[in-house]
Amino acid sequence: MFESVEEVQQRFRDARYIASRRVSTVVFLAARMGRPVLIEGPAGVGKTELAKTLSEITARPLIRLQCYEGLDEGKALYEWKYAKQLLYTQLLRDRIGELIADAPSLPDAVAKIAGQEDAFFSYRFLSPRPLLAAIQAEQPVVLLVDEIDKAEPEFEAFLLEVLSDFQVSVPELGTVRAKHIPLVVLTSNNARELSDGLKRRCLHLFIDFPAPADELQIIRLKVPEVPEQLARAVVSAVQKIRAMDLRKLPSVSESLDWARSLVILNARELDPGIVESTLTMLVKHEKDLERVKGSLDKVLAE
Amino acid sequence: MDQRILEFIGDLRRAEIRISPSEALDALAASAEVGLGDRETFKATLAATLIKEFRDQPTFDRLFNLYFLDLEALGEGLKKALGPEDPRVQDLLDDLMADENMELDELTELLMRGQGSEMEMAIRSGGQNAGLERLMYFLQVGFFSRRISDKFDWSAIEGDLERIMKALEQRGLDPGQLARIRNYLELRLEAFKRMIRQHVERELERRAYRQGEKLTREVLADKPLFALTPDEISQMKSVVARLARKIKDALALRQRQEHKGRLDSRRTTRKSLQYGGVPMEIFLKRRHREKPKLITICDVSDSVRNASRFMLQLVWSLQECFSRVRSYVFVSEIAEVTQAFNTYPVERAIEWALKGAPVDYHCRSDFGFAFSQFTKTELDSLDRKTTILMLGDARNNYNDPQAWALRLIRERVKGIIWLNPEGQWGWGIGDSVMPLYAPSCDFVRECRTIGQLGEVVDNLVHHWWRRGR
Repeated sequence: MFESVEEVQQRFRDARYIASRRVSTVVFLAARMGRPVLIEGPAGVGKTELAKTLSEITARPLIRLQCYEGLDEGKALYEWKYAKQLLYTQLLRDRIGELIADAPSLPDAVAKIAGQEDAFFSYRFLSPRPLLAAIQAEQPVVLLVDEIDKAEPEFEAFLLEVLSDFQVSVPELGTVRAKHIPLVVLTSNNARELSDGLKRRCLHLFIDFPAPADELQIIRLKVPEVPEQLARAVVSAVQKIRAMDLRKLPSVSESLDWARSLVILNARELDPGIVESTLTMLVKHEKDLERVKGSLDKVLAE
Repeated sequence: MDQRILEFIGDLRRAEIRISPSEALDALAASAEVGLGDRETFKATLAATLIKEFRDQPTFDRLFNLYFLDLEALGEGLKKALGPEDPRVQDLLDDLMADENMELDELTELLMRGQGSEMEMAIRSGGQNAGLERLMYFLQVGFFSRRISDKFDWSAIEGDLERIMKALEQRGLDPGQLARIRNYLELRLEAFKRMIRQHVERELERRAYRQGEKLTREVLADKPLFALTPDEISQMKSVVARLARKIKDALALRQRQEHKGRLDSRRTTRKSLQYGGVPMEIFLKRRHREKPKLITICDVSDSVRNASRFMLQLVWSLQECFSRVRSYVFVSEIAEVTQAFNTYPVERAIEWALKGAPVDYHCRSDFGFAFSQFTKTELDSLDRKTTILMLGDARNNYNDPQAWALRLIRERVKGIIWLNPEGQWGWGIGDSVMPLYAPSCDFVRECRTIGQLGEVVDNLVHHWWRRGR
């Protein structure tokens, strides 16, 4: 898929994603070794985006499993459509009657029905959820398991099982083995400590807020219409705000939003007035907002 | 190289980073994929396969630099140490080697060919059975350097050099050239000896580092809390954070096992209507474990402030284990500080509670007054789900202990647990009124060190709140 780490880096760049050497190395290794990647880091540093870009540059479809509290195997793997199955058997009652009409004895009738089992237990009645979809896929895919820390520990254990063998057993149908090993990306915001097993299985990547130079590059790449001068000012302000003691630090996506809104407002430079009116794009908590406004002159200082 | 990576992993483990055999294998396989060409890539590879906790990253970085400064930087350094290569002399020597087919000592060959990294390897293998693992102090560097250099047969090398010079002489080189060659070879020999010493020094640095890490952690965990220096306090914070995580992880595992319960007939029947009365899906009653409420009351007078600090940090790092945590501090007046914990991050809230809460920090501790005040204002908010975690030395400065107040509080709550940062031998001596308070408490524990604090809290989370539910 990739020949070298440099190639990974270049292709991410071409897809407008700035991947550091570390990121590229881990992606390269994941592709080579067929290992899942676990990405940890604060919200909004481009963890999910990385998976999306990966699917884009490898031209593999992206299958996404968003985790949340209460997510269980059923919702992640497959659901059996009992109702449909029941409805079919009801509707086909007459046909079934015909089928066993000429059976001389009960065991014969049972045998006849058993012969038709495939009709009752088939993929027809199975609706695949992301995990099964990724395993069943005819072509290789990128599987994104987003915010795994939100799911419960049992689910994590189950996921670990799937990720180590890339096969699942569906009691009604038997074992489904992956045709292609999917590229798996898991993301976590560190809301909860993940289990050692899962961490052991995965390649680990920690993405932190980007360095000023990298953030500037990202802004230039994603919001090309922003004037150079303004872009620099935005980066410097955002970096200073991140150094403050806030409840939620502004993410990269938020600084992009901020840059975009400044462009829409036709701002040429950052003056206190415009910053104050657009600050909500960047800082989302009431208390944080007050604090940043309180030291606005420091934030805007060159 | 694999050997070197395995050694590196061994040292990471000794620095208390958990690395499983499968991860070690991953690291070897992965580094084979990327090769050693680029140091950054190599580092990222090892980090991705070995380091799974962000907090281990700094340790990894430092150890990595001690191990793998090598390769490029070292290659450069060695070249410098060996002196400039004289291409003409080198050519002459190469010719000689090719023609004469001399029997030379291994080391002489190394010196002649002059590959820095190979010399490094030779020194390392020489060091392996020189007992380097006993290297601990700087004073031993000379001793071990000598020990390693004793592994090499210097007289053989001298002899080899003489023979080489003679052979060159026979080829009719003029004295000036000969002197240059001799000088060149001697310089290299010198440099090689220096490299041995450098190797031992680096080894010492590595050892000192890993010993240091472990020692600080072990020693600090057993040091009496009141004796900590400000510097140690800040190191302690990370130790306490580690402790909290350990307790929490173990708890998560337990909750997982608690999910199964009895059949929920109501939900199962209702769902079965969808399938014509056939119970296709079974619902189980989830046994609901109610999380306990916790109130901490901390003495924040000078003598026990450190203990309070770490207990508060531990409890608030574990707050998701409780349905509600409330905290009070007192010297003689008592004040609630919960609000600070809800507003600020834990560390700042603790600083505030220890210095900025609305109580007089400079008077003498008066437990009796604090308890009686507590019963006046807070008694109604107590219930049977609440546990009180009390921290103080019960040194009452001969004030009225008012033990009735604590008894009254005990009647309203699930239990009172008293942690005393003073050694057990001092209880009841002098102005200590611990024996008067102890009967109202469900249990009293000495808690002089972080190690003890961790044990008590762990015990509480896993046993105390389990009983009777």
